[in-house]
This record gives sequence, C-alpha cells and structure tokens, in this order.
Amino acid sequence: MPGNPTYLGTVQDVQGATISVALDKDTVSGLAFIDGHGYRIGQIGSFVRISIGFIDLFGIVSQVGAGAVPEALVKTEPYGYRWMKVQLIGEGPRGGEFKRGISQYPTIGDEAHLVTEHDLARIYGRPDAPNFVRIGSLASAESIPALIDIDRLVTRHSAVVGTTGAGKSTTVANLLLSLSDPGRYPSARIIILDIHGEYHSAMHDRAALFRVNADEGQGEKPLFVPYWALSFDELLRVTPFRGLGDADRAALVDKIKQLKLASLQAQTRGGATADTMTVDTPIPFSIHRLWYELHRFVCSTHTAQSANQSENTEAIENDQNGQPILGDIMGVTPPKYRPITQSGQNRVYLSSAPLNIRRQILALESLLRDTRYDFLFRPGPWCPNPEGTPEKDLNVLLRSWIGGDKPITILDLSGVPVSILTDLIGVLIRLLFDALFWARQLPEGGRSRPLLFVLEEAHAYLNSGNEGSASVAARRIVKEGRKYGLGAMIVSQRPSEIDPTILSQCGTIFAMRLANASDRSHVTGTVSDNLEGLFNMLPALRTGEAIIVGESVHLPLRALVDAPAKNRRPDSHDPQVYDPSTRGGWNRPKQAEDYARVLKNWRSENPRGANNPRR
Amino acid sequence: MDRIPVNSSTIVDIGYDASLMTLELGFKQGAVYQYFDVPDAVYQELMRADSKGTFFHANIKNNYRYTKL
Repeated sequence: MPGNPTYLGTVQDVQGATISVALDKDTVSGLAFIDGHGYRIGQIGSFVRISIGFIDLFGIVSQVGAGAVPEALVKTEPYGYRWMKVQLIGEGPRGGEFKRGISQYPTIGDEAHLVTEHDLARIYGRPDAPNFVRIGSLASAESIPALIDIDRLVTRHSAVVGTTGAGKSTTVANLLLSLSDPGRYPSARIIILDIHGEYHSAMHDRAALFRVNADEGQGEKPLFVPYWALSFDELLRVTPFRGLGDADRAALVDKIKQLKLASLQAQTRGGATADTMTVDTPIPFSIHRLWYELHRFVCSTHTAQSANQSENTEAIENDQNGQPILGDIMGVTPPKYRPITQSGQNRVYLSSAPLNIRRQILALESLLRDTRYDFLFRPGPWCPNPEGTPEKDLNVLLRSWIGGDKPITILDLSGVPVSILTDLIGVLIRLLFDALFWARQLPEGGRSRPLLFVLEEAHAYLNSGNEGSASVAARRIVKEGRKYGLGAMIVSQRPSEIDPTILSQCGTIFAMRLANASDRSHVTGTVSDNLEGLFNMLPALRTGEAIIVGESVHLPLRALVDAPAKNRRPDSHDPQVYDPSTRGGWNRPKQAEDYARVLKNWRSENPRGANNPRR
Repeated sequence: MDRIPVNSSTIVDIGYDASLMTLELGFKQGAVYQYFDVPDAVYQELMRADSKGTFFHANIKNNYRYTKL
C-alpha cells in the first residue's frame, strides 16, 4: 500500500506465534516520518501491527535480515528480500484496548505496519489508573510513560536483575519511591533487607532505619531480634547447639519449655496458655539462665555419688571471705567448682548428668559474651531478666518494624556477623510472615495492608542448593505469600546463583544489562513469553534501561528508568581510585595515620569509632 | 557407633567418635556405657594398654561423665 507511511511489508510465513514478514521493496530502510515523529524501521524489540479485519495484532521484532528468511526460501532468495521475524504477543480491536494473547492468526499477504506513538499509547496507556505507577519512559518513545501495575508487582512478586553498575539499585530506589508516594499510597508498607546499608541515603525522609550499632543521634534505631522469638530449630542454628544428638536435643527442648512455662506463670501473655504452649511459641525465657542451669547441671562437681546428687551437693569453691563463688547469670560467669578427687575423705565426684553437651555449653558461654551478638542475645528492652520477663513484649517490636509512621522500614544488616547472616534473614522473614499470617483477619494484617519485602543482594543468601533458613523462608513467601498479602522483590546481580524455584515464582522481571551468559539464560528460562529475541538484547542495554516482562506490565516493555533526584540515590557507588576532587583516591596527598584509630574501631567493631555506646 | 573387639577380662569391645569425643565401652556383663569428653589421646592409650581393665579403672572410670545405654 504505497502512500501509507506506516506500511512495512507483507506476512509471508506463519509458524505458531512466529511470523516472517517480507519488507516491501519501496520501504525506506532507516527512518520513516509519521506525524512529525521519526521512527527507525526494523529495530529489534520494536513493535509491528498487523491489521486483519477489525482487529490489530501486535508483535515484537525479534530478528531482521538474511537470517530471518524462511528456511524454504533460503536457496532461491539468499539476499533478494529483506526479512523480519516477529513474535506475536497480543491483539486489540481498532481503537479498543489491547489484550495479551491471540484469537486469530494472520495469513499470507496481510500487511505489517510500523507502530506509531499513537498505537503505543493505546497499548501501554492508562497513565491515570490509580493502581499504575510510572517508573520511566519507553526506550523507543520517550513521550510514553512506562507504567507498572502495583497490585501485581507486590503480590505476584518481582525480581530486579542486572550486572553491577547497570542501574539496579537506582531502579529499586525509583520503584520504592513511587510505591511509597505519601500522596497516592499513604499506607504503603515496605521492608528492605539491606545487607550493605545502601538505601537509607535514598529514602531518608520516608524510611525508618534499624541497624546494629545504631547512631541514635542520626535518627537511626537499634536493630534487635530477640532470641526468644525464634523457633527451637532457628535457635539451634544460631547457637552452638546445631547438630545435637537426639537425646541431648530432647533434653534441651524440655529445659527451654520449662523456662518458658515458668516465665508464662510469672506473667501471663495473651493467647498463650500452659497447655497449648510449645517450645516454638514466642514466649520470653532467659537464655542466660538456660546457659547457667545447663552449666550447673553438666559441668558441676558434687560431694555425693551419682544417685545422691542434687543442687545441695554441688562442690562450689569459696572465695577469700568464705562465700561460695556462685557466678553471675547475666554476666555469664559460671560458678567455680572444686576439682574431682579420686580418694581421700572429702571426695568430689563428677556430675552424673547423662548429656553430652559440655563443649556446646562452653561455646554458648563465649557466644553470650560476644558483643557482636548483643542484638540477638541482649536485645535491649526485649532482653528478659533471669526470671524470663523482658521490659517489652514483641508487639512493640512488630509495631516499630511494620506499623511505624514511615512507609518504608530498612533493616540494615551490615553489622550482623556473616556466620549467622543467612539464618538471621530467614528468621526475620519467618517472623514477619508469621505475624502477618496470623493477623490475616485484622486491619493491620497482610490481606488488608500488604507488605512488600525487598531482598537486596539475594544471591548471597538465596543461592540454589542452599537449604539455609533464608531460602526456606523466601520460598514460603513466593509460594504462599500472595494469599496473605506478602510480596517479595528479589534484587540480585547473579540471578544464576539464586534458587530457580524462587526466581521462577517472580511474576515480574526487571532485567537490566546482564553480560554473563549463564545469568542471561537463567533469566530467559524463567520468562514464560516467547520473547527470547527481546532477551538477546540484555548485554547491550544502556545503564538505567530495563526490559520488563510479566504480570505487572501489559506486555513486555523496554523502559528507560527515571533517575531519582541527586539526594535520592542509593549509596552504592564505588570508591574512587582517581578522585578528581582529591578528597580521596590514590591521587590525594598521603596523610599521616598511626592506625591506632583503625585498631580501635576494629576492636570495638564500630566503623564510627568506639565512643558510640554499643549497648 | 562401631566397637572393635578387644582382648580383656572385663571389656568386650571399644568404640570412639572423635567428633563427639565420646568413648563407648561394652562390658562382659552385657552393659554398654558412653563416656563423654574423652580426648583422643586417652582413647589411644586405652587401646595400647596391656590391661584394658586396669587402665579403665585408673584413668577413665571416675574421670569422665557417662551414661548407660
């Protein structure tokens, strides 16, 4: 149809959803001008429209040139025509709304047209719908906003993947800023698990920051994870008791249950009764007392033989004043026992405790003294006294995390010891999942006020083959979270290292530039659409450019994500080796430093210096 | 735990798990005892001792906590 400037060519070959279009001889390669806008013809990833009757079919160009010639014609027309392969993705009645899926196929001779901005607005449109947020503009047409359906983004989970420096954190920051817009979504609820402490600078006014070693003068709040909120298995994983034998394990269960029961009898807790309580019920107990009593049980010596031993027969040494050295529960000092003797009058015997956990008890002692674990074992107002009663209960903690006045909560885990990081993340996810699960009928439950989890650097703790508790907890969110209003946003630069079950449950994928071939194939494999052509562009995407596929977009789109304002960028930039401002870098004049401050910060495990109180 | 038969008048067989530091002894009367926190060196000495029973009474019996299986 010469004269129609959008005309590209005719359909020559149809194979399922893949069609081949022969470009018309008169179609000018390069630029076409329609309504004053210039369009490049035959761009990979651009759209074509095929009109059949009253319906327009839309497809994405996946291949152009000699390679796109249908196989049967390769011999007769090696380079005669210019060909284009198109993947069909949806249709819409003329002037009507676009829908995914094809009800009828094109046939040979149907015309293929360029898609103009007017058509694109029809496909992507709906900028006014209240459940859509803008995150940028289409890479091919900057006047058209890239819109994301937040309903599906949150409850059907999402993944943001891309090489370091491709603009991942900026994209996440931008998305979160749009989602937490106080004017549009005043009750938004987002939790970021930030293992490098990058996000606070971007969200300072919208986020409450919780961190280990908090600088409370800066408005940071201390991160506490009370150990008694952990289930028995979780507690075993973060203490030296992992890998315990069956008999010893049962004894430990009994001991903890006994302490929890005593605490419950000292102070009633709504919802828990002595009959229904299990070792996993989040009821406070003192782990310091647990340690102390186990120590007295297993490591003690006695003045009587096995059958006659009791607390009164313990052979405790006296100090200079003749007082027995009983130790201190909260100070984690054990009582001092007399050594055993083999003969003589006042014989001293070993404890008859049949438990093989002496080494674990000694390891627990040093763990309880280690200040790096204070956020867990001495959790501020949630640290129970030896009788098992803390100053505050868990509701205050939950309220500070997910019921605060700011829409975003950042749990900065940069100060958490690496050895328990994975387990701790699992605990945090599990705690919040359980809280929202049991609150599902309440106004603050997940069903009426969904919660979005942002899992930063997910490859570090959700790797495949890792049966760590973080993977288990994240799998639970992506599989069941939808029903209880929990969504996950997985952010990673190594998608190939993430458990495929988790990645494949992500309804929406934001794929930024990905250079590594195995990462790419991993992402391509999780996408259900027949869009490999689109994903072949991944290594060549610009910084800040993302291919978005899945449930929260009408159809796959290639978007240029808006860069947030300067003061809203995540603090993820690399150190500068050459710093033009000469404030840092190798080009700066060398400064005298005797490393005393280095050592002080290291010993105090506090990057801001030892003067900030730790407890 | 696997126990190795030994030549002794009181002890039938001896087993040791280094990771649990647990020594397991089978006695002539049929009882089996586990001794906890026993160092590897003590186990080695026991195995080298001419009289297992004498060594057991002198160095293990009242020196380590135990349980009867």
